[in-house]
Amino acid sequence: MVGETLKFWLMIAWLLPLAGFAVEIFFGFYSKNPRGSKAAAWMAVACIGIGFLCSANALRIWGNANEWCVLESHDTHGEHAEGEDGHGEEAHEHKAADENSHDEHAVSATDHDAEKTGQTAYSGEIYRLATFGSLTIAMDYYIDSLTLVMFTMVTFIATCIHLFAIGYMSDELVDDYVDHFAHTADGKHVHRPGRFYRFFAFLSLFCFAMLGLVLAGNIFQVFIFWELVGICSFLLIGFYTERKSASNAANKAFIMNRIGDFGFLIGLMVLWTFFGTFRFGDTAQDNVVTEQGLFSMVHRDAESHDFMTDADGEVLITDPSGHVLKDEAGKARTIPYFLLVIAGLGVFAGCVGKSAQFPLQTWLPDAMEGPTPVSALVHSATMVAAGVYLAGRFFPMFAHEVLLTIAYTGCITLFIAATIAVVATDIKKVLAYSTISQLGYMMLGIGVFGWAAGLFHLITHAFFKSLMFLCSGSVIHGCHHEQEMPKMGGLLKKMPITALTMLIGVFAISGFPMLFGLHFSGFHSKDAIVASALAFVIANPIHYLLFVIPLLTAGITAFYMFRLWFFTFWGAPRDQHVHDHAHESPWIMAAPLVILAVPAWLCAYGGESGFLYGMLTGDEPAHLATGVTAAGKIVLPSHHEIHQVHGDAGVLALLAAFSGALIAYILYGTTLVNVEAMKKQMSIVHGFLTNKWHFDDLYDALFMRPAHKVAAFCAWIDKTIFDTILHGLAKAMIVIANWDRMFDEKFVDGFVNLVGDATQSVGSSLKVVQTGKLRQYVMFIVLGVVALFAVVFSTFPG
Amino acid sequence: MFSDLLNKLNSDTTGSLQHHFGAELWLSVTIVVMLLFRLLSLDRFVPTFIVALVGAAAAGWAAFGQFSEIVAADGVAPLTFFGDMLRHDLFSVFFRIFLALFLILTIALTVLTGIPDNEDAPDFYSLLLGATIGMMIMASANNLLMLFLGVEMASVPSYAMVGFLKGRKPSSEAALKYVVYGAGAAGVMLYGISLVAGVLGTGDMSLMAERLSIVAESGSAGFGDPEVRTVALGVMLVMVGLAFKLSLVPFHFWCPDAFEGASAEVAGFLSVASKAGAFALLVRFCIGLSGVPATAELMTAFGIGLGAIACVTATFGNLAAYTQRNIKRLLAYSTIAHAGYMLMAVAALLVMINSGSAKALTHDINACIGGLLYYLAVYLFMNLGAFAVVALVRNYTFNEDVDSFKGLIGQSPALCITMLVCLFSLIGVPPFGGWVGKFMIFASVYKAAQLHWAMYVVLAVGGLNTVFSVFYYLRIIRAMVLEERPADAPSVKLPSMEGYYVCVLAGMVLLLGLAPGLVNGLTAIASKAGDSVMAVIGR
Repeated sequence: MVGETLKFWLMIAWLLPLAGFAVEIFFGFYSKNPRGSKAAAWMAVACIGIGFLCSANALRIWGNANEWCVLESHDTHGEHAEGEDGHGEEAHEHKAADENSHDEHAVSATDHDAEKTGQTAYSGEIYRLATFGSLTIAMDYYIDSLTLVMFTMVTFIATCIHLFAIGYMSDELVDDYVDHFAHTADGKHVHRPGRFYRFFAFLSLFCFAMLGLVLAGNIFQVFIFWELVGICSFLLIGFYTERKSASNAANKAFIMNRIGDFGFLIGLMVLWTFFGTFRFGDTAQDNVVTEQGLFSMVHRDAESHDFMTDADGEVLITDPSGHVLKDEAGKARTIPYFLLVIAGLGVFAGCVGKSAQFPLQTWLPDAMEGPTPVSALVHSATMVAAGVYLAGRFFPMFAHEVLLTIAYTGCITLFIAATIAVVATDIKKVLAYSTISQLGYMMLGIGVFGWAAGLFHLITHAFFKSLMFLCSGSVIHGCHHEQEMPKMGGLLKKMPITALTMLIGVFAISGFPMLFGLHFSGFHSKDAIVASALAFVIANPIHYLLFVIPLLTAGITAFYMFRLWFFTFWGAPRDQHVHDHAHESPWIMAAPLVILAVPAWLCAYGGESGFLYGMLTGDEPAHLATGVTAAGKIVLPSHHEIHQVHGDAGVLALLAAFSGALIAYILYGTTLVNVEAMKKQMSIVHGFLTNKWHFDDLYDALFMRPAHKVAAFCAWIDKTIFDTILHGLAKAMIVIANWDRMFDEKFVDGFVNLVGDATQSVGSSLKVVQTGKLRQYVMFIVLGVVALFAVVFSTFPG
Repeated sequence: MFSDLLNKLNSDTTGSLQHHFGAELWLSVTIVVMLLFRLLSLDRFVPTFIVALVGAAAAGWAAFGQFSEIVAADGVAPLTFFGDMLRHDLFSVFFRIFLALFLILTIALTVLTGIPDNEDAPDFYSLLLGATIGMMIMASANNLLMLFLGVEMASVPSYAMVGFLKGRKPSSEAALKYVVYGAGAAGVMLYGISLVAGVLGTGDMSLMAERLSIVAESGSAGFGDPEVRTVALGVMLVMVGLAFKLSLVPFHFWCPDAFEGASAEVAGFLSVASKAGAFALLVRFCIGLSGVPATAELMTAFGIGLGAIACVTATFGNLAAYTQRNIKRLLAYSTIAHAGYMLMAVAALLVMINSGSAKALTHDINACIGGLLYYLAVYLFMNLGAFAVVALVRNYTFNEDVDSFKGLIGQSPALCITMLVCLFSLIGVPPFGGWVGKFMIFASVYKAAQLHWAMYVVLAVGGLNTVFSVFYYLRIIRAMVLEERPADAPSVKLPSMEGYYVCVLAGMVLLLGLAPGLVNGLTAIASKAGDSVMAVIGR
């Protein structure tokens, strides 16, 4: 019953934006003052706002139903989170309890013991689209604590951003919008009708897609909404479609995502071929599993906690209670290990595209061409985090090699992006690279077995990064669409609310602690990741880079974020014109900043014993707690091992962050160092970084130019060979057609005309009889009678 | 003895008047009332057309009463009344309803088009109602005398109506031609009647076949027999009279001239109503001569002869229509062609009932008459629709040429669409009613063709004619839809009532082709009517 109730509330939250989208896109235009009406915006806000209330309510219902057991079971984490020592036996006990509860989860639908602590994961079918043999394509739902937290986070942030956008996009409320960044062929600015309502329609559609992605109960459904958020992203990046840069960026984002989705599709094929299903969880009716999901099909060894395999090393496919399934021939069903790896890598490839990880990271900075609220919602808080979410959701199916790939991908990404962010001057670009970097952290966290840490960072990052993007939007709005930081400076007095909330965001992302345990959210989550990485490196020393680079980057992160803040808000104005016209944003934009600043700072309150972490880890995969120690493979650390190094890792990370912030202050907060001179001295490095490590050039050389070459070659073949053949054929056809036409005109038409003329002339000649002379007519009666008489009596004699 | 006759007549009359003669009686009363109103100048207060409409409605209601009575008492034996002069069965009731309905529609049309004016209205409606009474009598005639009486009673008012536009010379000329031609045809027919009645010793049509087989010397009515030859001559002469009413070739000459001269409303009335009555009469006449083995051979030959005439008529009508410029004249030829199609059904009927296997073919024979009636019912709406559009357009353009229809679609879509529907139905394109009717007739001809090869020829000619007819109908459609309206052409504005009126007609044409319930119901009733008229033979 709880499952049904949850489904009900989340369905409302999910479908309301869709309804909103339909109304806005079709009727947003129909009002007395079509271009000037804010009705569409308020409708979008109402939809997503109600969605937030429903989500929060669902969270409450879920907690009440299982008496918040996930929070209680993590109570013992408290001490570790503070970075203290004192774990030991206690932790072991807890671990055992944890294990229990997760086993219950895996088979929760059937296991009667689950009733003790309450069921925590619910899955089932919403609507069946089609059935092809054994394959069922359906709209499923999978609701666990992660789903609920994601729902609440997404709807909350989306509500704030919608509100902000009402102010930010208000210049679209005109019949004749002049786009100063787009030019017509004759060099004039583009004039077009305002598209206020359309923007909000797209936002609503995006919310629908994103929530659908989170709610999805099978991997195929994830793929559907995956593409749907992709198209929303495309539409929103290209919102100023008249600008060449915007439409290019939209294309780039879409195409680069396709590359990842290609891998995703391969993963789906492997999964379906061997497992025959797409759904995550089991569907149960009256505690009997009717349809088994993917997660319960692979079971882990009781000792090493690695996948159960047969003698040949192939992974066994099992039923929910761990018994190996048999195929028709009576053999045990298995999946070759390397294919399981490929499936995992394939799904991860999708995540790489969506979350802008190395090597597909270049689309995200370009995506900043979209309006800033879009950057805040789609390209920092939600959609790009969907890749991390999927990696987390699909975690039980990932093999060691996949996890290591994830870790290294994240590690490379976070470093590259952070270094580029150091030299970027466009305020949104800095934030974009920062986003990529932070997404890299999340991936790294998941890859080094810090599942909870990665997702924890996802949530905290969503809050503070959307806050910072909105702040940057406020700055851009206040400075009349000036995005270059070198032209800003000293804006603290002009726009204090923006500056202070931005500062909160900067503290949060840098991971600063605070008095009274009111640590900034990033402090907890980044510590968790670094600690996981440290534990992983201790267990596998050969992968030491996975700890060193993130630690170093933590410092770089603090550096470039403080650099951004000092550049923008501190010191003397660099461009007097911009400074003079700058102003604080109206309340509709400032209020969301203030609202968002609170969770950006405090959402992780309590750290790993806090509410957020407890909720997130409530349904974490079972083998996380114990770690994996399979022979001959990488050792994956258990919770216990991670807690042991938590304190050390925290101290190191803090040191890095403080030093980064200090350097930033010295360079940009004071006038002690001549930054320009430094730039000149290090021009090679600077150039390398401002050119984004030459990735775009590399791709240009590697893919674009060869593609152009091949295309030119194909075009040549087309033109010289195929076209010649086609033209020849066409000419032959014309000749034949001419012949045919001649035949048609001369013979067929001639015959038809002959018949027509004949009938026509007969008709005309019949007219002759109709003389109109009465005497003749009467004469005809007589003639007629006589004629008939003659005919009758000559035809029928005797 | 004479008093016996009188008494019988008296009791018959009083007994039958209400039950079997109600419709005709109502129309007669209406005529008297209209003339009285005129006499007392009451027509200033009550427009004459209202009286006429009420009378027509009453007649229709009476006929409908008879209809429901017959349907309720399924299987009531058809009976004769007025001393066997008239016959009362579902067939005649069908025609009464048909004619009453048509009368109402025609009156409505005349009201809409404003012909006649108030002064002439009593005269006009008296003529109209009188002609209708004649046609009803034609439909129920059981005696050669009534045959003649009915034809004349329908014809004489028609002559006057054709010439009703007194000021117009063509109108008067047309009326004169019609009268003279009609007189000629009547004379011939009367001669034929006298021959038939003289030889057979009775005027009762239901007894003709029986008498003929008695009279014939050898017992088989071959041409060698002088009596049979005389009767055949008589029958042929009677046919001339009917062919005049049906405007069959070669007795059609009056038709284009009369239609061109008469107003479109009158032309519409004549083209449908008088044809319906004449077909009813023809069917009765033919059945009266059939059903006896002795006459089988003769009547089969007669049927094939009718088929030949039908072929000639349809072909002639369609070909002659090609070059017509006046749209009423064009429709007159179209009317001739359609008479040809319908005559094919009668031909098929004769071939079937005079074959050896007539009993086994009962169903097909009923369907054959049913098809004819169905065709008539559809023809009512589609032809009246076409003439109504012509009349309405004439009121604006004062012109009845095809050219005056140019670009009508841009002027008055309702009129144009109605015309389209009617013309396509006249061609016989699905899904319009005309297609269903034509299909039923051709199906009957095909069945008859199983009995005699000549009917295959009839069928082929019928099909070919359908193709011929497309061209001149499409000429009107092309003018209406594809061609530009000349700049100086008067515009056609459409008051709503007229639009509704023509739309109702077009709607009926569509429904009769599309609504399965209506099609099936009407087909069933028409077949039943066919069954009832066949009762004469069933003795």
